[in-house]
This record gives sequence, C-alpha cells and structure tokens, in this order.
Amino acid sequence: MDLISILSTVILIATIGTMGVAIAAYVAFKLRDKRKPSKKDPAPDQNGEVNPIFLTRYKPEAPSSDQASVNDTASVTKP
Amino acid sequence: MNFRTAARLVFGPLLLIALLAAAWLIYSKIMEVGAGTMRVLLEDALLSVISLYLLFFLGLLILRYAMLMLYSFLEHVEYIIRRREERPTSEAEDAFQPMITLVVPAYNEGPVIQPAIRSLLELDYPHYEVLVVDDGSTDDTYEKALAVARESTRVLVRVISKRNGGKADALNTGMTHARGEFILNMDGDTKLSSNTLRACIRHFQDSKVGAVAGNVKVLNRENIWTRIQALEYVEGLAMARKAQSFVRAVNIIPGPLGMFRKSVLQQVGGYDHDTFAEDCDLTLKILVRGWHICYEPTAIAWVETPSRLLDLLKQRYRWTRGILQATRKHRAALWTPRKAGLNFFILWYMLFEGIMWPFSTVMGNIFFVYVGLQYGVVIFLFYWWLQLTMLDVIAATYCVIVEEEDPALILYAVAFRLFYITIVDVAKVFATIEEWQGKAMTWGKLQREGKL
Repeated sequence: MDLISILSTVILIATIGTMGVAIAAYVAFKLRDKRKPSKKDPAPDQNGEVNPIFLTRYKPEAPSSDQASVNDTASVTKP
Repeated sequence: MNFRTAARLVFGPLLLIALLAAAWLIYSKIMEVGAGTMRVLLEDALLSVISLYLLFFLGLLILRYAMLMLYSFLEHVEYIIRRREERPTSEAEDAFQPMITLVVPAYNEGPVIQPAIRSLLELDYPHYEVLVVDDGSTDDTYEKALAVARESTRVLVRVISKRNGGKADALNTGMTHARGEFILNMDGDTKLSSNTLRACIRHFQDSKVGAVAGNVKVLNRENIWTRIQALEYVEGLAMARKAQSFVRAVNIIPGPLGMFRKSVLQQVGGYDHDTFAEDCDLTLKILVRGWHICYEPTAIAWVETPSRLLDLLKQRYRWTRGILQATRKHRAALWTPRKAGLNFFILWYMLFEGIMWPFSTVMGNIFFVYVGLQYGVVIFLFYWWLQLTMLDVIAATYCVIVEEEDPALILYAVAFRLFYITIVDVAKVFATIEEWQGKAMTWGKLQREGKL
C-alpha cells in the first residue's frame, strides 16, 4: 500500500466522520436553540395562594425532645 | 529590523516556495496514478454531470482565489506607497481631525462592558466621544457603564438606556444622539487598537468615501476552534476585504469596527430591522447609493469568538441566513448589470460564497465518498481534498505574510479543511434550506466569557 492510498483512506474516514459530526452538531444546535424555560407562572389555588409547581410546601413541625438532642437537621421532617 | 520581523520576512517566502514545489510534485504523482481510474467518474450520465459540475466549481474557486490575491496584493502595494507619500505631509492629515462619536451598543454585556469602555478612553485622537447605548439589558450593564462614564475626565462618555429593540435599533439610537460628524460603530465586547480613529478618518479626506471597514482579529486563541477562526478572519480580511477595497467596494463592514459619515447613515436611513445581518444590509445600501467603502488594515478590533462548537454553529447559522436576507433585499442588482455596475458583481459574488460554495463542497464530499465506497476508488476524494487544502494553505501563507501574523496559523489551514469547514458548511447548507423555507429564527445572542 503506497503513501497516497494510505492518505486517501485517512481522508475517507475523516470525511465520513466529519460529515456525521457535522449533522449531529447541527441537530444538537437546533435542539438546544428550541428549548426554552417555560415562563408560565403557577396558577393560584382555591384559597388564592400561589404554590410552586414542582415542590411540596415545607411545613416545619415541632421537634420531639429526643430527636432534637441527637441532631438538629435530623429533627426536620417532611410532611 | 528586529529578529522576529526578519525571520518572518525570510520564513514566509521560503515556506511559500516550498509549498508550491510540494504541490507541483504531488500533482505530478496524481496525474500518473489518476489517469487510468478517471473513467470511473464518467461511468454513467449522473456521475458525469456531477463530475463536470465539480470541475467547473473548482475552476471558479481557483479563479476566485487568484483574483482576490491579485487585487489584495495590488491594494497592499498601493497602501504602502500611499503611506510613504503621506508621511512628509502629516500636518495636512493632522488638520483633518473632525469630531467622531463611538457608538457602543450593549445588551447584557456586564462581564465585558467596563474593560471595553476603558480601552476606548485610551485611543489616540483629540476629538471624540463615547456613546454607550444600553439596549434594555437585564443585567448590570447600565450601572457598570455609568460607573466608567463618571470616572472618565479626558473623554466624554455618555450612557443612554432604552427599551430592548435589538442591535440595529441601538445603533440607530446612537446615530440619532451622536454629536460627531463621523460615527464609529462597534460591538460592546470589542477592544480597539489605539490608532483606530486616526487610521480610519484619513480615508474620509476623499469625499467619495462613505464608510471604512476595520480589521478584525481574534483575541481568545485558546483552543483549536478559536485558532482556526483566527486564521479564517485573517484570510477573510487580508484577502477578500483587501481585494474589495482595491475597487472601493467592501461588501460587509464588520460589526465590531466600521466608521461612517453621519450624513451617509442618515441618507440610507440607518440600520434596518428586516435582516439578521444588519451590517451587510447597511453596507449594501451604502454601495447601492454609489458611495465608496474602503478597508483599513491597521485599525484593529480585537473580538472574542465562539470557543465551543454549538456556539460557532449558532453564529454561522445567523450570518448565513442574514446575508441571504440582505442579498434578497437588494436582488434587483442581480438582474440589472448595466444599472447596478459593480454592485452586480458584488451580489453574485455573495451568492457564490453564501450558497454555491458550501453546497458544492458538501456535494463534492458526499459524491467522492460514494465513488470511493461504491467503486473502491478512494483516490478521487484525496485529490478533491488536496486541491482545496492547497488553495487554503497558499491563501493562508499569503495572508499571514501580508498581515504579519503568527506563522503557526498556516498549519491550521489543514485542520480547517480536514474537519472545520465541513462542519460549518453543513450548517450553512441547512441554514440556506431553512431560509428558503422561510422558517422563523431568533437573534440568539452569544454568551460572552469576558476575556477582554
């Protein structure tokens, strides 16, 4: 196999690879460009309160004495 | 003459001679090997048509490079002679020092606005003001610009805040409020060389000159993407822009640095909002009105270019569609050569660069890959690549010598052809198709990293 054949093979592989990368990169660019964070504000509930969409509202409870003595953070329990 | 300059003067021509000799040797070898397998390309009608089209395209490309290099070289020689002649009469040049307004549009340029304005306060020119137009930024751009304005004593710095309306709208607002007879438009993240104003203003002593395009160089040469872009900018300006300047018909005044007569901007109605390449559109409007546009290589704007692939694609996508929109807007000149004169050639040249070139290179790649895989003759793909790479390397060598740039940039010409331009060309082809389909698009501001 002479030098030109080797170079030709290298260029063939590089060209096919680059074309694949080019199309993949373009698709990625279009996908990234289309994605936008939703600007819709959460609607108020029956009481007129606006609750966050994904989060469960945190309601602190009074810690029991033995839990509080072990660790302050551990005493916080989710409702 | 220091060692670096001497090395460049010796190294450049030697490299050019070596490249030409290597090109000749490879060509001889190709002709020996390729003659027997050539009939594959004429196997059927479709292959023959595509082969002949690609041959025609290569001919056009070689003509394009040859013409641009010739005109660019003539402009370079003319420029050197003019500079030498002007030296003894520098008093006359000093007498022409009209007021210049630098308009800096800024939208969310918080990380870079302060160093950008501070660099403008150091320019070597007696009569100028800086006008920052905050285009409804949602960050602290306005406050930061105002802080620099308060600390400036030598140069008047004014800051205007307006509702967000895009760069074209901000530049038009700047034009309205400018006190100078001449206006320098730039980007908010650009750093100018200190001689910019002196270098640009002297062109306006010729009353036919309506605008001057500056030189743009890449500041953040930090990875392969930005280094290849640095070479791309050097080639685009030292060859294409300089050649166009020889006939006083530069077709795009770059956004980072362009100086205009205020009266000309008013005459053409400033920037329009109907394209995504307002710089190109404005330039064409000025050319259509018959004004001359020059290129000033020593007035340099240092800019930050996209350092990530997707950001680069976003920029090129917008440029491609914007240039096509501007060309379509002035399409009347495409079909009226007698009336349009030089603008006829400019418009066709823009279509060649914007549509024919990327489509043909992508088609050539696909075609020769197909021939390689289908007929087992891979060597044509190599010839195709080699011819384009040789043109790139010769052009890069010429431009690096003329621009006195880093010789290492020449090596990136190979990487440019090997993968960079294929990726960019594919994006350009898709952008052209989407523009033809009339798909909606957004401005898509690039995120700056504040490296100025």
